[in-house]
Amino acid sequence: MDDLSRFKQTYFDESAELLAVAEAGLLRLAPGEIDMDEVNAIFRAVHSIKGGGGAFGFNDLVAFAHEFETVMDGVRNAEIPVTTQLVDTLIRANDVLARLLAHAADETDAPDGTTDETVAALRRFLGKAEAPAEEPPPAPAGTLYPDDEDDEAGIFGDALAAIQAARDDQPSPPISGPVPEGKVRWTIVFRPKAELLLSGNEPTYMLRALRRLGDAEVVCHLDKLPSLRDLDAELLHLSWTVTLLADPQIDRAQIDDVFEFVADDCDIRISAEAPPPAVIQAAEPLPAANLPEPAAPASAPAATAPATTSGSPGAAKAGDGAKRSNGSGTSGDHSGPTTHTIRVDLDKIDRLVNMVGEMVITQAMIAEHLRDLPPGQFQELLEGLESLAQHTRELRESVMSIRAQPVSSVFSRMPRLVRECAAATGKEVMLVTSGETTEVDKTVVENLVDPLTHMIRNSIDHGLEGPEERERIGKPRAGTVHLSAAHRSGRIVIEVTDDGRGINRAKVLSKAIEKGLVQPGATMSDEEIDHLIFLPGFSTADQVSNLSGRGVGMDVVRRNISSLGGRIGVYSTPGEGSRFVLSLPLTLAVLDGMVISVGEERFVLPLTNIVESLRPKPADLHGLVNKCDVMMARGEYVRLVHLHRLFGIPKAIDDATQGLVVLVETEDGSRLGLVVDEVLGQQQVVIKSLEANFRRLDGVAAATILGDGRVALILDVAGLREMSRHGAGNGNGAGGATPPSPSLPAPADRSDQRQRQTV
Amino acid sequence: MSLIKWTEEDGGRIRLGLPSDLDLPMAQPLLDSLRAAFKASADVAVQADAVERISAACIQALVVAARDATDRGAAFVLAAPSEVLSEACEDLGLAAWLKQWSRA
Repeated sequence: MDDLSRFKQTYFDESAELLAVAEAGLLRLAPGEIDMDEVNAIFRAVHSIKGGGGAFGFNDLVAFAHEFETVMDGVRNAEIPVTTQLVDTLIRANDVLARLLAHAADETDAPDGTTDETVAALRRFLGKAEAPAEEPPPAPAGTLYPDDEDDEAGIFGDALAAIQAARDDQPSPPISGPVPEGKVRWTIVFRPKAELLLSGNEPTYMLRALRRLGDAEVVCHLDKLPSLRDLDAELLHLSWTVTLLADPQIDRAQIDDVFEFVADDCDIRISAEAPPPAVIQAAEPLPAANLPEPAAPASAPAATAPATTSGSPGAAKAGDGAKRSNGSGTSGDHSGPTTHTIRVDLDKIDRLVNMVGEMVITQAMIAEHLRDLPPGQFQELLEGLESLAQHTRELRESVMSIRAQPVSSVFSRMPRLVRECAAATGKEVMLVTSGETTEVDKTVVENLVDPLTHMIRNSIDHGLEGPEERERIGKPRAGTVHLSAAHRSGRIVIEVTDDGRGINRAKVLSKAIEKGLVQPGATMSDEEIDHLIFLPGFSTADQVSNLSGRGVGMDVVRRNISSLGGRIGVYSTPGEGSRFVLSLPLTLAVLDGMVISVGEERFVLPLTNIVESLRPKPADLHGLVNKCDVMMARGEYVRLVHLHRLFGIPKAIDDATQGLVVLVETEDGSRLGLVVDEVLGQQQVVIKSLEANFRRLDGVAAATILGDGRVALILDVAGLREMSRHGAGNGNGAGGATPPSPSLPAPADRSDQRQRQTV
Repeated sequence: MSLIKWTEEDGGRIRLGLPSDLDLPMAQPLLDSLRAAFKASADVAVQADAVERISAACIQALVVAARDATDRGAAFVLAAPSEVLSEACEDLGLAAWLKQWSRA
């Protein structure tokens, strides 16, 4: 795996930026006028460099950054006054830090004494005696990562956690004694944050999982325990050191896996010791011994290589070590200092996306105007416009792709989840993933984690049968959960499929009836019953377990997905399994919509909400006394919403039999018939935030600019439903009392106002 | 505040009967019960044979209680730990602790 070197390169790139931030801040720092934000920014920059450096074992650098940071901490706590001398010293310290980073990047040692003078100068500000400047406090691994703000600037993010897990740290006091032949001794220091339990994690399972990997000695540290009086029942104050004597086949990844899902909630150090030759090295707590250490035996008999199996980080390191001695190697696209990426502020990209959006609109406007030209004339102009349209489309796609990220960043978190769920439920589960490279907008990717986590938990907990039961019914003992992603007609489709027992419809239905979500005796199709699980209030609480039932319900999953402009469906076959299908837009910047007209106004309806459009016959329409109009559509009554009444639009068609009814569906599955004058056509529109430019409006999700330059509001179907309900509820407390007449006093007035404000 | 079942025995000893399910939400009632028991008596026994499921939070509460008992010279014993409890302690590196307090 090239991950480590790739992360390293990222670390150096980002450290260079942090140094620049620190320097700029230091140059602005002057006696008398101290901007605490500036001081904090400098502190964070240094702290982040230290944190990242610690993860890679650059101990000299970490030790020096520690000194630097201590002084900055004094400055931010107003313990050290800002003087010109101090600023000079700090700027020098920044330069020294830059030199140390350069040496670390070149994999060379900084000449002895590089830091002496500056450290001494820094210490003078702390009022410390000039202790020998050489051995500051690089010592125990713990002090290198004193808290959870290692990466204060937050820029290393997950990468740092990954590195931390992917590299070997200094062994913190291991139980001494030689490592037996053919074994590797791992020392795992596991310090959970106090809140670990609150996120539903249970250290017992992790430690148990570790114990399964070999001979483990678990030492529980009780020193942080408060008294009985002060103890908070749900906060964890225990920490552990596990010494694991494992076969060489056990690789680093297997240990990392145990902690993968709690990486953010704890501090974990993992180090390895191999038999004799390496033991001698390991005894010296020197940086050089650190990195290649577990890989060292690889140069000896290949079979004894401890942490190098199956392409683990260890394997990469073994190669790395070899490369170093041979000069630079031939392979390794990430190993070189040249990277072909630049880091760009997200705001800049968003501005670019926005500008391209504007351009698309302008281009559409020009096209609209040119449509009126007499045919046969201005041929070149029309051709030019055609190619402009094509380029614009390509440009838009390219710009959108800048924000796109592969879903692998989400998918890669799932194996650990599956393992954990499998352990907790005692089921055997195999996770198959496909389509990890499928790319989708960053925001969409970021918001996929929770829904997917819940769906997979759900599949394992409720869907898959236990191994015995599976065997009995002729299925393989291990259940399969398949997670896939693919692009399909301009959207990304993510599927979670399991080969379990499928949805127990009888149970779902009886539960829904019990909870009053469905009338007893209602006849429902299988598909409708399956979709009941998405109803708010449909809880599976009595069915379990500490897995599902604890977190979000499927209704929340559905809401999350629909807030991203997506839809979720479920398909289940009893005895064969279930399939959850998520369909999401590739980007949140453009939307596939249907342009409709109401009076003189144009609106855009998101295509995902539309079921069908139809012109009802008079017989299909029913006015409920003191309630809304309803329409019979495909065997069910659907509430009609006259948009023109809701928004107070004059000169619109009121009679649904003369206009059109667009049947729309909200995320909770309820349907609504919108009475409109006309459906003008499908169009991809660029979303303009109404909140950012004006303010939030009921029933409106956003705005867009149409080809003719007019602003059109993008309707929020769920909001429209709410509005129509409240409108109907105005008349009496029983809910729903506005006559279906054109009078409709209160809401119309209110929306008149709204109309004036917006259009 | 809900407390778990307890009985007062002859000689002033208080015996807390641990329920079968000591998951995270049970940590608070357990902790409250331990506090109340030590307030009421200097001799507390925790009957642990029924435990079928236990979270680290509950074990932690028992560890703190045991240490607290030592500090204040009170008697504390974890009577008849169930297999599940023993296994969990083993996993958490507290086997020796359990041994010490289950025979105390």
